[in-house]
Amino acid sequence: MISDFNLVPLLPEIFMALTGMGLLIVGVSQGNRATPVICAAAGAALSIAALVLLSLGWDAQTVMNGMFRFDEFAGFMKLLVLIGLIASLALSSRYLTQEDMARFEYPILIIFAGIGMMMMISANNFLTLYMGLELQSLSLYVLAAFQRYSVRSAEAGIKYFILGALSSGMLLFGISLIYGFSGTLDFTVLGKTIIGLEQIPIGLTIGLVFLLAGIAFKISAAPFHMWTPDVYHGAPTSVTALFAIVPKVAAFALLMRLLFQPFADMQEDWFQIIYFLSVFSMVIGAFAAIAQENLKRLMAYSSIGNMGYALIGIAAGTAQGAGAVVLYLMIYIVMTAGVFAVILHMRRQGLAVAKIDNLAGLSKTEPALAYGMLILMFSMSGIPPAAGFFGKLAIFNAAMNEGLYVLAVLGVVTSVVAAFYYLRIVKVMFFDEPADSFDKNEGSFARRVVLIVSVLFVIGFIIKPSILYECAMHAASALFTVAG
Amino acid sequence: MASQEFLIQYLPILLFMAVAVGMSVVMVLGSLLFGKQNPDPEKLSAYECGFDAFSDSRNKFDVRFYLVTLLFIIFDLEIAFLFPWAVALGKIGMFGFFSMVIFLGILTVGFIYEWKKGALDWE
Amino acid sequence: MEILAVFSPLFAFMVAGIFGKSIGDRGCQFVTCAGVILAALTSILLFFDVGFGGHAYAKEIAPWIISGDFNVSWALRIDQLAVVMMCVINIVSACVHVYSVGYMSHDEAKGRFMAYLSLFTFAMLMLVTADNLLQLFFGWEGVGLASYLLIGFWNHKFSANAAAQKAFVVNRVGDFGLALGIMAIFVVFGSISFDTIFEQVADKTEVTFTFFGHHVHALTVICLLLFMGAVGKSAQLGLHTWLPDAMEGPTPVSALIHAATMVTAGVFLVARMSPLFEFAPTALMVVTLFGATTAFVAATIGLTQFDIKRVIAYSTMSQLGYMFFALGVSAYGAAMFHLVTHAFFKALLFLGAGSVIHAMSDEQDMRKMGGIWRKIPFTYGLMWIGSLALAGIPPLAGFYSKDIVLEAAWADHSWFGNYAYWMGIAAAFMTAFYSWRLLIMTFHGKPRADHHTMEHVHESPPIMLAPLLVLAAGALLAGAVFYQPFVGSPKAGGSAHGEAVTETAHAEKPVAHAEKPQDKAHNQTPATKIKALSADISAEMTEALETVKEMDAEIAQGTDRHIFWGKSLKILPENDTVEAAHHVPKWVKFLPLVVGTLGIALAYLAYLLSPGVPGRIARMFKPLHILFFNKWFFDELYGQLIVRNARTLGKAFWSIGDQGIIDRFGPNGSATTAGKIAKALSRFQSGLVYQYAFVMMIVAIAMVSWFFFKSGLRDLG
Repeated sequence: MISDFNLVPLLPEIFMALTGMGLLIVGVSQGNRATPVICAAAGAALSIAALVLLSLGWDAQTVMNGMFRFDEFAGFMKLLVLIGLIASLALSSRYLTQEDMARFEYPILIIFAGIGMMMMISANNFLTLYMGLELQSLSLYVLAAFQRYSVRSAEAGIKYFILGALSSGMLLFGISLIYGFSGTLDFTVLGKTIIGLEQIPIGLTIGLVFLLAGIAFKISAAPFHMWTPDVYHGAPTSVTALFAIVPKVAAFALLMRLLFQPFADMQEDWFQIIYFLSVFSMVIGAFAAIAQENLKRLMAYSSIGNMGYALIGIAAGTAQGAGAVVLYLMIYIVMTAGVFAVILHMRRQGLAVAKIDNLAGLSKTEPALAYGMLILMFSMSGIPPAAGFFGKLAIFNAAMNEGLYVLAVLGVVTSVVAAFYYLRIVKVMFFDEPADSFDKNEGSFARRVVLIVSVLFVIGFIIKPSILYECAMHAASALFTVAG
Repeated sequence: MASQEFLIQYLPILLFMAVAVGMSVVMVLGSLLFGKQNPDPEKLSAYECGFDAFSDSRNKFDVRFYLVTLLFIIFDLEIAFLFPWAVALGKIGMFGFFSMVIFLGILTVGFIYEWKKGALDWE
Repeated sequence: MEILAVFSPLFAFMVAGIFGKSIGDRGCQFVTCAGVILAALTSILLFFDVGFGGHAYAKEIAPWIISGDFNVSWALRIDQLAVVMMCVINIVSACVHVYSVGYMSHDEAKGRFMAYLSLFTFAMLMLVTADNLLQLFFGWEGVGLASYLLIGFWNHKFSANAAAQKAFVVNRVGDFGLALGIMAIFVVFGSISFDTIFEQVADKTEVTFTFFGHHVHALTVICLLLFMGAVGKSAQLGLHTWLPDAMEGPTPVSALIHAATMVTAGVFLVARMSPLFEFAPTALMVVTLFGATTAFVAATIGLTQFDIKRVIAYSTMSQLGYMFFALGVSAYGAAMFHLVTHAFFKALLFLGAGSVIHAMSDEQDMRKMGGIWRKIPFTYGLMWIGSLALAGIPPLAGFYSKDIVLEAAWADHSWFGNYAYWMGIAAAFMTAFYSWRLLIMTFHGKPRADHHTMEHVHESPPIMLAPLLVLAAGALLAGAVFYQPFVGSPKAGGSAHGEAVTETAHAEKPVAHAEKPQDKAHNQTPATKIKALSADISAEMTEALETVKEMDAEIAQGTDRHIFWGKSLKILPENDTVEAAHHVPKWVKFLPLVVGTLGIALAYLAYLLSPGVPGRIARMFKPLHILFFNKWFFDELYGQLIVRNARTLGKAFWSIGDQGIIDRFGPNGSATTAGKIAKALSRFQSGLVYQYAFVMMIVAIAMVSWFFFKSGLRDLG
């Protein structure tokens, strides 16, 4: 029977699930005219979930027969996920009506995806892991195709679904191999088993390879990234924002938990895979983006590159590296939210545009927006004193401490290459002949708040970088304490 | 040999398969031998949910078939889930009971949704 | 107060430079003038406090570099040497600022010009108040930068840009020496702070450097390296070619930077480092030789030039030569004295020339001037004062300082001292000659400009003339006033100069009187007019001197030169040529005056009375004239020897090294490659979902194979 029947650590998830279902019933009975209300309610629910999460004691504990793990790392990452979800919901609100896709399922799907992600973060068993992953993925598949009558959106949805299914298959195959060779699905037990092994059986390694391939797809690490540009491009922009901001955090949390806890003793093996993924991601993220004309595609490659940098931190394999990853992700989601706030603003004659050229001369038509974007781009390319610089600094620092010079140098080099396309946007905004101005009065209040908060964060980070750095380090160190 | 002992455990499955094959053969042969054979083209064509089985596989058909099938599968699986639960109910106690109730509750929410959305109406 | 004196020009520069657009030209002019005038007033106060009160001090502002044994701070060293320089810089700069308001009134970028001037002033102040060599170097480079910016101020003119670059590059050669010198000092003394260095000098006289197996005297090497910097900045022979070209800049710039202040930085440097130079007699000898030769060569070139500003520029170079040989014979006080007086009369001459150019609608060629003295009498009179001072006619400033310099050279009783003396005498003759050649060609004779220009000849506005008056006062009086404190009087009685050491501090009075004779002169012939003018000036001068004699006496009592300079100049007792200079034979004292008068007379003879003579002489001494007229072929020599080869080398580096290798494989190459990679990668992105799936599968299989392969190896091994 369930010996440690304790639902307290699950309260945020339970609350979100109940709210999600309740809203579903409300929505289906009221129809699409209730969408604004449901959006607001969903936002409120996510905020309350965040508050509930904060009010929990963050001591490490494992509940539900070892299926569910809650510790400071999980708490912190969940908080990031919730903030990301709130931000992307805020970004979406106006866009839904503009693009004629204001259906009440949208916010509810976001809530369900959120539950899935939080399950992934707290997973301490391959079953929980898979369940969370699928709940998240299925919600996102639907969201990608949410603009039903747009061919692009449908194409994005179907591509994401097919490739996602393939990756899930790989993941499951990996899990079954691991189960076959270790006889357990529980992370804690698995970790002990691996430590007890004299020699790692090759099957376990192969299982790990497939497992990582599956997760690499989720974080869009190259060479499992092929879906990213197409899906980011095709999906409605608000959904792209969601894709870029939140799922990466959850998948990274999952990856870190897996690699630092049960598979800590197989570092020799996974190090090579992570190294390979990291190098590929950085190079492809930096170079392929140069040829892009569309901002959404550009952001896709940008996110691929950024995942490459974050993987460096994991490759370092230390608490410092893990802390750097957490910090990096934190800064990354804030910056990305800001950039998408700008992209979502780009509308001409009632149509969304996302070409880089559309930004031409923005400094003259909308200077405030242009300067905001300027700061975000500087931060993205890692120019001090913007926040992006500190994220990269922490990552490279961790890598150097572990002697990963090649990765660190490659990271710096690709940063330079990447700076080219970020700064090209700045150049287009400030030095090109102004294009027609964007539609006026199209900026929603919530979106503006997201942009302002993002820009302020990016600038203000330097005032006291240590606060967030300490938080990140603290959260990451929870991964390295022995599971109790 | 340890592996043989291991394989012995699968003997019932082997027997089960043998019985299944045997019974199928008996049925097919029986109908051939004792049935009344009066074929016409309609009867000879394979039945495939009302479709022509041997034309291009990429022709159009009504998406509602899928909808119904998917909805059916959900509740089909629910039943498949309920059988072992019912059998083990005595052992898993109140915790098991309420777990299933929650599951059914969630399923019901989904059911309400599909009903209200009109997914169950053919037209 | 010292902060106010040094930093108000910086403040003015920042305001005018950054907010120039929003406060407008008027605002810029006001802010910069106000800043510099404020600085001038405070530095005069400092001068009295430090110079006569004897309160030398150093004020630390902030630490700058602290690295191991290497400690440098931003500090202001306010000693006698510094306050003298500050006064000169700030007063001349204030005059030039005000003058520029009028002179540049037709220019489009007035604000920028004023900002640059203030920047220069600040850098120069940084240089002279530096408490360590690094800060000095900062100021040194700062004035170099400002000079570059101002020479090339009219950046639409190709020649101005070329001149600016030339000035910068030639100075770089000197600066290289200076930098090496500073490093050498750090090696020897372990510090670059003046106090620490000077304390240790006496102990380090035996130190040697080993250089390619030779032992060389460290202090001599250091001093020569420092002097190399001075040669560059002060346009001494060898690195002087930039100075005449620098006349491409606006005339106020020439007055401020290329006559009064920046070019004297070298003199200041040597004076500042006098404790080192005193222990390096070889270096002193080199300094003397350089100075004397420069004085002579520059004067010969000055004889033949036709551009009014270039004549004055060569004259500047020549006068700088005087200062250097004064330094070389350890007469630092005399050198500084000449520096001060020269700053006044040379700035006056330049600004006067600017006034002429202004009047002649930007004509600078003296062959196209002439006969304009009636139209611009005021400028004419001021140019006279400047020229008299330059030629060393008593009782103007130049007389005192040039005399003491030459006497000191004579009094050194060494072969190079004598060489310097005779070179100086020759130069003094030529100086007087070309000064009057300039005056006569510009103002007298038949008008050679076209009708249109002549009609437009007009006196400059008051805003340009007022600063000229201040400078003229300086040119008239600085010599007499500062003779006593700067170079003192003989210790024992029997002074030949006793009568001369009378001075006044009131500027307005004699200047106001100086205008009178010009008014009178309107109806007279040139010759009588000039006679009347000089007579009037001397009369007025004596009168003015009488009235303030008591005041001088007080000052004279309290300030012997040793007391005045305090510790800021160091002279070994056996080298005290200034003292000895007071006891030289009478003919040594009067020779400069005689040759000066002779030069003036000859100039009259040659250019006014029989204008054909110069041409005949030029033809007679054709090779010599060609040599002088072409500035001793320095530019051509450098062009052939250095510039052309450097250009060839540079071109080779550029086309092969830079474009061929670095650019091709560096920036351009990597950019092209990045573009190609990007194209290739986006071709990879086909949009076909089965290809994506294929890639995923292949990669997964490849990774699995890798691990199988590895485990296979492991099993084998």
